[in-house]
Formats: sequence, structure tokens, C-alpha cells
Amino acid sequence: MMRLLRPVLILVGKDILLEWRSRDLLVSVLVFSLLIVIVFNFALNVTPQRVTALAPGIIWVTFAFAATLAMNRSFVREMEQGGLDGLLLSPMSRDAIFLGKAFSSFLFMLSVEVALLPVFGVLLNFSVLSLTLVLTIALATLGFALVGTLFSAIAVQTRSREIMLPVLFFPVILPVIIAAVEASSASMGSESGVGLNRWLPLLAIFDALFLVICPWVFAVVVEE
Amino acid sequence: MPIALLQATLPPANLPFLFAAFAVTWIAFFGYAFFVSRRQQELRKEIAELRGTLDQQGSEDAGQGFSI
Amino acid sequence: MLGNGVRHNLTGYLAVLSGLFMMADLYLIFMVAPTDAVLGHVQRVFYFHVAIAIMSFLAFFLVFLASIAYLVRRDGKWDRIAHSCAEVGVVFVTLALLTGIIWGKPLWNTWWTWEPRLTTTLILWLIYVSYLMIRSYAPNQQQAARYSAVVGIVGFVDVPIVYYSVIWWRSIHPSPVVGPFAQANALEPIMWWILLFSFVTFLILFSYLVAERTALRNSEDRLRGMRLVLRRVGR
Repeated sequence: MMRLLRPVLILVGKDILLEWRSRDLLVSVLVFSLLIVIVFNFALNVTPQRVTALAPGIIWVTFAFAATLAMNRSFVREMEQGGLDGLLLSPMSRDAIFLGKAFSSFLFMLSVEVALLPVFGVLLNFSVLSLTLVLTIALATLGFALVGTLFSAIAVQTRSREIMLPVLFFPVILPVIIAAVEASSASMGSESGVGLNRWLPLLAIFDALFLVICPWVFAVVVEE
Repeated sequence: MPIALLQATLPPANLPFLFAAFAVTWIAFFGYAFFVSRRQQELRKEIAELRGTLDQQGSEDAGQGFSI
Repeated sequence: MLGNGVRHNLTGYLAVLSGLFMMADLYLIFMVAPTDAVLGHVQRVFYFHVAIAIMSFLAFFLVFLASIAYLVRRDGKWDRIAHSCAEVGVVFVTLALLTGIIWGKPLWNTWWTWEPRLTTTLILWLIYVSYLMIRSYAPNQQQAARYSAVVGIVGFVDVPIVYYSVIWWRSIHPSPVVGPFAQANALEPIMWWILLFSFVTFLILFSYLVAERTALRNSEDRLRGMRLVLRRVGR
């Protein structure tokens, strides 16, 4: 376990440094997410009466699409710079490479979500100071990161990489979206608290399951 | 064994659905089987042709004293 | 060449067997099955729809097994089987959806309802389609086999999770319509037998189509290999 930790931290540090230098991906994803919420406002005719019912769905569709955008761009950039080949040639284990990439994506998306949350709180009229909401966001984003990193590694090698990631990603991630929407809904107080007892554990189990499966199949994806 | 009485006691509007469901099923399976079979025949023909060409190549090269 | 001849015969036998079973199945469905008191004759779609839907899930299970076998053994045979099961499976799941929709209208007076079984079938369809898309968009045959095996495995693991998520979700947001099995009258024993026979019929049909498709895959691979040799030799 400790043997994994160091390479993973190095990888994450490198990705954070790289992104911090230009911040172009961060800005694009933030702007993109904001635009989606605005479009939703008009498309769904969000009135003050309906906003509590609609808010969780809007938030999670936005986060899910932002996640695919972020992970796609991240892997494409990695490939263009030959970074992935470099990593594979290094003595780092495949597990470490996967966990490093997944955790970087996780942190990246978490920062985007943290930045957006107050804005959404204002636009969609909900309180962001909710522990359960934060927990939901953390667990769901981890799920996005795990599945998304695996499928990005596949999609980026194909002809049609922009479309391939969403096509692979969304069917598999559906339970996470359902759980996240329901848990957010419960923590925003529109439904009774019974929702949290089943949805948060579902998120946790999903994450645990894919934490085991994804590194294993990642090795298959990147082998030569 | 119960014997079904095909009475016309139901609204006839439903029978088109019955027909549509079975028709779609048969068209899909027949269509797929047909296309797979036809493609298979095309490929078989092509393989036979190519094999002829390969044998020809082989004998020519053998005549020239090359070994593959 | 003996292997090829035997395989050709097997496919032929399966085709004939499939045809015979299908005729018997149709007889049972239309001449033996009782008419539903509430829904009338259109209920007979049930025997096709359910058998096809179950078969499509079984097909994906086979894709899952073959994908694992391929990744462990790296034998092209398993890749061919996985690919064929997936392609035939996509035909089955498409039909499951179509017959479900066509049956849904007279049953619920709506073309679609997001109830757990239908929704999971739709997700299964999407995963199948993504499997086939990966195969055709991958840069070469070897990567196509590997990537689609990964999709086959991850996708299959995900399907039960999707199913239970939707069931839980539905318990919070109940559907205005009732599920296809919650009919006013429970299933009589004869209906179960006919459904079972229907399932066997489609199992045989599935096997026939997979046998044909695997043979086609075989030819495709052989042709590709020969073209490769020709390119190397002929120049």
C-alpha cells in the first residue's frame, strides 16, 4: 500500500503543477458548467416554486458533463505530450499510474465543483453548507473519476475520441447519477432523510467496487 | 390442455400491435441471418480467389528460386 | 478442412432446429395459450418479448465470460465468440426494446415508462452499442479485441447495479403505470410452460445466429491474414 502511495502522490503533484501553470482547462470547464446551468434555467423554466425539485438534477447533469469534458481534455493533452508513453516506460506500476491519473482528475473536478457550488447555491437557491451534500459530491466525483479515467484511456486511442468517452461513460455511471441526485435532494431537504440511508452507501459501494476493478483492467488497456 | 377460443371480444385496435410486434421480430432475425449469410458467401468467394493468387505467387517465386 | 465441414453442418442443423422450434412456439403461443381476459390477444406478445429480453441478458453474460477468457488466454477464438455474441445480442436487445414498446402502448397507453426492467434493458442496449462502437473505432484488431473485452467486463458488472438503482429510485418516484408482470390475473401454469418453451426456442435461434456470425468472423480474420501475406509477398 505504501509502495503505491509515493508514485501516486508524485503523479498527482505533477498534474496539479501542470494544470496550475496554465489553468486553461480549469477555466474552460468552469465556464462550460456555468453555461449549462444557464441553459437549463431556460430549458426547464426554473421558477422559484420548482427550483428545489429541479436543482439536484441540474447540478448533477452539469457536473457529469463537466467531468467528461475535463477527463477527455486531460487525457488528450497527456497523449499529445507523450506523457502516457513516458509513464508506461517508467518503473511505475500500472496500478499507480491509474490511481495517480484518477486521483488528479478527482481533485481537479472537486475544485471545479467547490468553485461552482456557491454560484449554484445562489442561482438555484439552496444551502451549500451541508455536510451530507459535500459527502455526496465527494463520493460521486470519485466514482466519475474512477470510471472516467479508465474509459478515457480507451477513448483517447480511438478514432472518435470526443464521442467515445460519453458513450462509454454515461451508461455505466448512471447509478452514481441517480444516487447523487437523490442524496443531494435529500440533503437539500426537499425529500425526507430516508433517502440518504440508502444512496450514500450505494455511492460508497460503487466507489469501492470500481476502485478494485478499474486498476486491474487499466493494465489491460495500456499494455503494449 | 386448455383450448384457446379466438373470439373477437377485444377491441380490434390492439391486433395491429400484436402483428407489429411479431412482424418486427421476424424481419429483424431474418434480415440479420440473411445479411450474415450473404456476407459469408462473398468472403468465401474472395478467400478462394485469393488462395488461387497466393498459390500462383508461390509457384512463380519457386520458379525464380526464391524462398519465402 | 474437416473442421470447417463439421462446423458448416452444425450451423445447418441449428438453422433447421431453430425453424422447427419457432413453428412449434408460434403454434403454442397462438393456439394453446389462453386469451388474457383483460388485454385480449395482444398479450401474446409477452411470450416473445420476455424470452427475447432474457436471452439478450444471457447473451451479455456470455460476452462477459468470453471477454474474461480472452484476456486470460489471449486466444483469438474467445474474441470471435465475444464479438459474435455481442452483435447477435444487440439484435436481441433491440427487439426486446421494440417489442416492449409495441406491447407497452396497449398495455399502459404509453409508449415508454421508466420502470426498472425496461430502463435496464435500455442501458444494456447502450452498453452493447458502445461495445460495438469501440470495436469499429479502435486503431487495430488487437486493440479492438482488448478494449471491447474491457467494456464487456465493466459493462456487465454494472448492469445489476443499474437495475437495483432504478428499483430504489422507482420506490421513491413511483410509476403511474404498473409493471408488465403485475397484471390483474397471475400467470397460469400453462403460460409458464409456453414461456419456457419460448425461451428455449430463442436460445436455439441465438446459438444458430452466433454460429453463423462466428463463422463469418473466422472468414474475415482469414481474409485479413491472407491479404497481409499477399502484401508482403506480392510486392
